[in-house]
Amino acid sequence: MLALDLLANGLIYGCFYALMAVGLAMIFGVLKIVNFAHGEFFMIGAYTYVLVSLKLGVSPWIALPGAALAGALLGWLVERLLMRPLYAGYASWGFMKDEYAVVVTFGLSLLLINLVDKTVGPYSFRGEPLIDVSRFALGPVMLTGQKAIAAVVAVLLMVVLALFIKRSVWGKQIQAVAQNRLGASLAGIDATRTTSLIFVISGMLAALSGALLAPLVNPSPDIGAFPAVKSYVIVVLGGMGSMWGAMLAALILGVSEAFFSVYVSYDYRDAFGLIILVLVLLLRPQGLFGEKGRTV
Amino acid sequence: MKPTANLWQHRLRFDMRAALVICGLIALVPLFVTGPYALGIILVSVYFAILALAWNLLAGYTGQFSLAPAAFAMIGGYTTALLDFYWKVPLALGIPAAVVVAALFGLFLGKLVLNLSGPYLSLTTLAFAEIARVVIGNSHEFTRGDQGMHVATLMQSRVGYYYVFLAALVAVLVFLYWLLKGRLGRFMMAVRDDPVGAESRGIDVVRTKMIAFCVSCAICGLAGSLYGTFSQLVSPELGLLQQTGLVLSMVVIGGTSSLSGAILGAILVYLGSEWLRGFGDIQIIVFALLVILFARYVPGGLWGLIAARLQGRKP
Repeated sequence: MLALDLLANGLIYGCFYALMAVGLAMIFGVLKIVNFAHGEFFMIGAYTYVLVSLKLGVSPWIALPGAALAGALLGWLVERLLMRPLYAGYASWGFMKDEYAVVVTFGLSLLLINLVDKTVGPYSFRGEPLIDVSRFALGPVMLTGQKAIAAVVAVLLMVVLALFIKRSVWGKQIQAVAQNRLGASLAGIDATRTTSLIFVISGMLAALSGALLAPLVNPSPDIGAFPAVKSYVIVVLGGMGSMWGAMLAALILGVSEAFFSVYVSYDYRDAFGLIILVLVLLLRPQGLFGEKGRTV
Repeated sequence: MKPTANLWQHRLRFDMRAALVICGLIALVPLFVTGPYALGIILVSVYFAILALAWNLLAGYTGQFSLAPAAFAMIGGYTTALLDFYWKVPLALGIPAAVVVAALFGLFLGKLVLNLSGPYLSLTTLAFAEIARVVIGNSHEFTRGDQGMHVATLMQSRVGYYYVFLAALVAVLVFLYWLLKGRLGRFMMAVRDDPVGAESRGIDVVRTKMIAFCVSCAICGLAGSLYGTFSQLVSPELGLLQQTGLVLSMVVIGGTSSLSGAILGAILVYLGSEWLRGFGDIQIIVFALLVILFARYVPGGLWGLIAARLQGRKP
């Protein structure tokens, strides 16, 4: 019965990882860069949720969209202020594209961590739960109310996102730009606006992931580091740039991590991601759903 | 303007001379600064200069972005500490062992990812750095966890240590100059500028990247090991991502693809961060902001501006 309980909890954590990793995969799909500030989108979401619900005393159900808004705004700003040189074609560009992206997003990550550390404080906060049911049993699975409701919200978000990408005009534009930026703009798609949209969506999803987890993990300024590292493992496992790969890989990582932490070692559960990363890079560098691994 | 002013060989020689001048100035500092605390600050900035040179070889000259220079310094420090603690290995063997072990870790990570193009190196080194720190911090029985480990020291004299670090810096500098001057240095820059073109001209791209990565890791291991014996303590804090961020900001602010830029950046950023500490620990905020601004608007860094002025070309 323990195995079933682990499976359910692993799947739930997998859903949160998926919310983060999908945004990362989308950004990679379109710009071919890794956003090293992705963990800080998560952190900003968690903090907005906690501060709005604690300090303003409003219902957490209002704080949740507030966190989404903060993440979306941050994503929009990052694209508007920092990502434009990647595709605006600056003539005397000293850095190459990849180097610029690594330097800028890594710098942004440190900047946001330390800004929050200085303005809000280095202490961790306890987030208000969305629903006040402590532990209950669903068949053999033990759950807390917060975990269950957060998982439902996370699954709903993924379904909405999948429908948005598959069905809506904007979603199709995103797919087109990811396939071929030049081709898409020749067909009349505003590639810059689409990239902006992608940053808004991935900022929002990462922030929501942070907000939903806030009551479970007690946010502190560096809370984003491990979710971010895990989403890097996930996007490599799922295949860089593949959204569906990222979703599936997130569930795989969540479940296998849950089993690892119980049957092998709890202290080293965070190291498990590295083992998966090493195995993927050794055996299948293109990931589960990636295109054929591009070698030099 | 001399016709040779833009030739690579000429620029490298000019760069090297400037770097040696900076080292000469650093060597004179103990004549004027005698306080052990102030001297310690400059000593640590020399430690960071070594890390910055190592990272710059990889990022600036080969175009490969590792996010783990601090983690490799931590591995170097722990190698010396563990050898000393468990097997009483003398430092004369413990410090070279740190260089070898760091290079071996580099070899292992490099074998995994350097044959792939794309951001795999940055991703893997970042994951490696974070997880290595957690593993060391959690291994209470073996590494004493977050408390850190005591390390033997080479000497008690702080001025003596100052010159040990400076000697290490000059040695690394001369080695990198020799490396960059030769074929391998050209290969590295070819790989940075156009990997496909380099491959088509018969350069073994993966091997070149591998050498650059292992050399960079080995230098980081050396720096970390020396730093451990100086502070007589190694702890997982050596490998914090913030330390990597400092190294990165030193190179970006000082000037990528430049020997003297990395040293200049290391000294300026570290002294600046000690100064800003007085204003309520805002140093990381300031330097993270500066990194973004420099990468965006001054891609050549400070050295790019200075060198252009000195050599009479347009920046």
